[in-house]
Amino acid sequence: MSGLAARGLIAKGLVIDVPGRPDGRPLDLAVAPGQRWGVLGPNGAGKTTLLHTLAGLRPPRAGEVSLDGRALARWRRRALARRLGVVFQERHDDFPATVRETALIGRHPFLSPWRQEGPEDLARADDALARLELSHLAERELATLSGGERQRVSLATVLTQAPDIWLADEPTNHLDLHHQVAAMALLAGQAERGRGVIMCLHDLNLAARWCSHLLLLYPDGQACWGPAEAMLTPAALERLYDQRLVTAWLDGAPVFVPAR
Amino acid sequence: MIRRRRGLWMATLALWLGVGLPGAARAEVCVSDDAGREVCLDAPARRIVALSPGVTELLFAAGAGERLVGAVSFSDYPPAARALPRVGSYDRLDLEALLALTPDLVVAWAGGNPREQVDRLAALGLPVFFSDAGDFAAIASSLERLGVLAGSEAAGRAAATRLRGEVAELRARYADAAAVPVFYQVWEQPLMTVNGEHWISRALALCGGDNPFAGEAPLVPRIGVEAVLARDPEVIVTGGMGKADSSWLEAWRAFPELTAVRRDNLFVVDPDLVQRATPRLVQGTRALCAHLETARERR
Amino acid sequence: MNGARVLRSSPRLRGPLVWLALAALLSQLLALALGSVALSPGELVAVLAGDGEALHRTLLLELRLPRALAAFGTGALLAMAGALMQILLRNPLADPYVLGLSGGASVAALAAMLAGWGMALVSGAAFAGALASTLIVFGLAHGGGSWTPTRLLLTGVVMAAGWGALITFLLAVSPVERLPGMLYWLMGDLAYAGSPWPVLSVAALGLAVVLPLGRTLNVLARGGLQAAALGVAVRPLEWTLYLLASLVTAVAVTTAGSVGFVGLMVPHMLRLRLGNDQRRILPASLLAGGTLLTLADTLARTLIAPQQLPVGVITALLGVPTFLYLLQRSQR
Repeated sequence: MSGLAARGLIAKGLVIDVPGRPDGRPLDLAVAPGQRWGVLGPNGAGKTTLLHTLAGLRPPRAGEVSLDGRALARWRRRALARRLGVVFQERHDDFPATVRETALIGRHPFLSPWRQEGPEDLARADDALARLELSHLAERELATLSGGERQRVSLATVLTQAPDIWLADEPTNHLDLHHQVAAMALLAGQAERGRGVIMCLHDLNLAARWCSHLLLLYPDGQACWGPAEAMLTPAALERLYDQRLVTAWLDGAPVFVPAR
Repeated sequence: MIRRRRGLWMATLALWLGVGLPGAARAEVCVSDDAGREVCLDAPARRIVALSPGVTELLFAAGAGERLVGAVSFSDYPPAARALPRVGSYDRLDLEALLALTPDLVVAWAGGNPREQVDRLAALGLPVFFSDAGDFAAIASSLERLGVLAGSEAAGRAAATRLRGEVAELRARYADAAAVPVFYQVWEQPLMTVNGEHWISRALALCGGDNPFAGEAPLVPRIGVEAVLARDPEVIVTGGMGKADSSWLEAWRAFPELTAVRRDNLFVVDPDLVQRATPRLVQGTRALCAHLETARERR
Repeated sequence: MNGARVLRSSPRLRGPLVWLALAALLSQLLALALGSVALSPGELVAVLAGDGEALHRTLLLELRLPRALAAFGTGALLAMAGALMQILLRNPLADPYVLGLSGGASVAALAAMLAGWGMALVSGAAFAGALASTLIVFGLAHGGGSWTPTRLLLTGVVMAAGWGALITFLLAVSPVERLPGMLYWLMGDLAYAGSPWPVLSVAALGLAVVLPLGRTLNVLARGGLQAAALGVAVRPLEWTLYLLASLVTAVAVTTAGSVGFVGLMVPHMLRLRLGNDQRRILPASLLAGGTLLTLADTLARTLIAPQQLPVGVITALLGVPTFLYLLQRSQR
């Protein structure tokens, strides 16, 4: 743990394990405190697999992911869960649960087995629900929520968890325009407070607007990464999506529109 | 009322103590049961519960009928047995109803009663006699032993002697009878017969009946129709589903190549006379032997 | 240090449990009061007060009480096994029957009974059978590396069918005079239950194991990845659940044969009322499962007395329409 270099989430020579795909280019990147990483790529490029590998939920094919200088495999799951939070794209709501109960499970890594959630934990969950404009739904069953509301509950759960590193898979999925912006502002706010954020995104323009760094993931395993302004070249993005783009500048940020 | 109950209570207690403390009081009657256990009573039993229709019949035959206080479903012979209070069926006993009869002897059917339930009775201190008569000799010996336990020793011994005499007479009469291959049908769906150990097979053997399935391992084997056709018995006998029910026999007429069908050697016997190991088996055996004689005449 | 706090902050969790405990107590009293021999309330009280006639004492303390306790313990075990399997498979409709657990236990127990083994060995065989089923199902489902609940469920269903065939085979080759007993046992029957202590102590043991896991199970119910991301060691936890469910099922099966629907129905119905907090659902399932089976067995003993029904018939007769109704309602 010497200095700043070891802080944050670091991937070294990382090859994610997508069955039947060549290794491609090993990833060497660091999600440092305060950075907002966006992962862009077409369907099937392995964005979710990458996110799960970075969270230690899947073993990599090669290379290593470490947090604060220690390989993820050497962390205890519970200790890791106090530092890393994951917003999943897929959810299993097979059993009944209320919105508040769902937000509260973000406190799980911090509570010993016999301990009930106390007033302090409840307060954290309620704050998170308020931050995501869900207070009025706190007692509702998950099954009765819309897709966008459900997505915000997922964000509220990780906000209750308050991790140092956020790994978010399509955090704006199902969200309307207002809540998309609110969600991105929330993640940006987390980064401002010294947390590292890495998110998979479909929307180029959200990435261009909110991310400090970008990782472009190609379906064949190739990749390139760096500061956002360096990565947002029309040529690279057109190759990424196999789609011609028209670029405009609005409000100080580039806007990409698919060409007809 | 209270006084009477107290008396009962004392009697039960005394009985349990007597059974529970070997040697404390010299047992007055002792016999060994069919499970090889020694069953001892301080005094001949006065309140007996029988746990199968066959056992009920044995007890009546041993002269203990009036000391029976309970029986299981289908205990229909002799007619007096029908009036006995029921304690469930042989395969599912109502232990509460049984205990409420405050029996001082339970005669269980070793092969048919649920072992766990009978063991529970024994654990509660009730004397249990396991009965498992499988042939004439065992039936006769059961009559004697049950007579001893029930205090009807003379009646039991007389019944046993009569039975042995009748069997000896049958055996003498058919000593030189020619062998007849005979298939005894216990059930139709699935098709079941008996092996050589079964008392029906032994009864048939008494008068020259030759059971082609005598060598099967189970007492009541389930077999295929083809096996019967292959062995081509000369006679087919069945108890059917009741007296003179010949519907199962009619099905065999679909196979005219069978010797038994060709010669019309398809016979019915009263199932009650042969399917219970009781003294009535002698009557059943006489009926079976008469059918075999008919078959010999048709040769 | 945290004890006081736990108690203070959990009245919400305890309310339904108090009611269920009361219901359990009432069901025991009812099971004691009813039987094929009619006892007056006075006679009942006399025995409970340590007095009363010898016959009544025997009826109540030697016959009804052990059986009522065995029914309670068995119901509690079945409901717990069901609740655990449902979490394990992330499927509210799972139960020990679906995964072939009870099938494996039944086959091994039947084979042991046929071989003439004693009750202790039959229990051991049942546990071995349930465990073998567990290992086969998990081994095969794990084969490709992925261990999705769907794959697990499918493997389990196929295994259950295989066990069913073996049961039929064992019935076909067993002596005719033993068939009724074996059939009753397969239908689920408490008439053969001996001492209630095995089921009760395993139920207590099971509760002691799962209660500290309550919140962890809540997290596991949200999916394996989500649970791992929240710090749950998923694979060891799943193995613990499966082993515990095997043990619990095996003990229940040896005591009462295959009693259906308790494991499926009880947790499912409780969830409709109490939500899915395992800290509430698990103890509630134990209490409600025990109560249900005690009542069902009381019916089985008395409905057509002195003829005795297997309790599995009652639970299935009550269970099937209740379940269809719930399913219908949940589709909306």
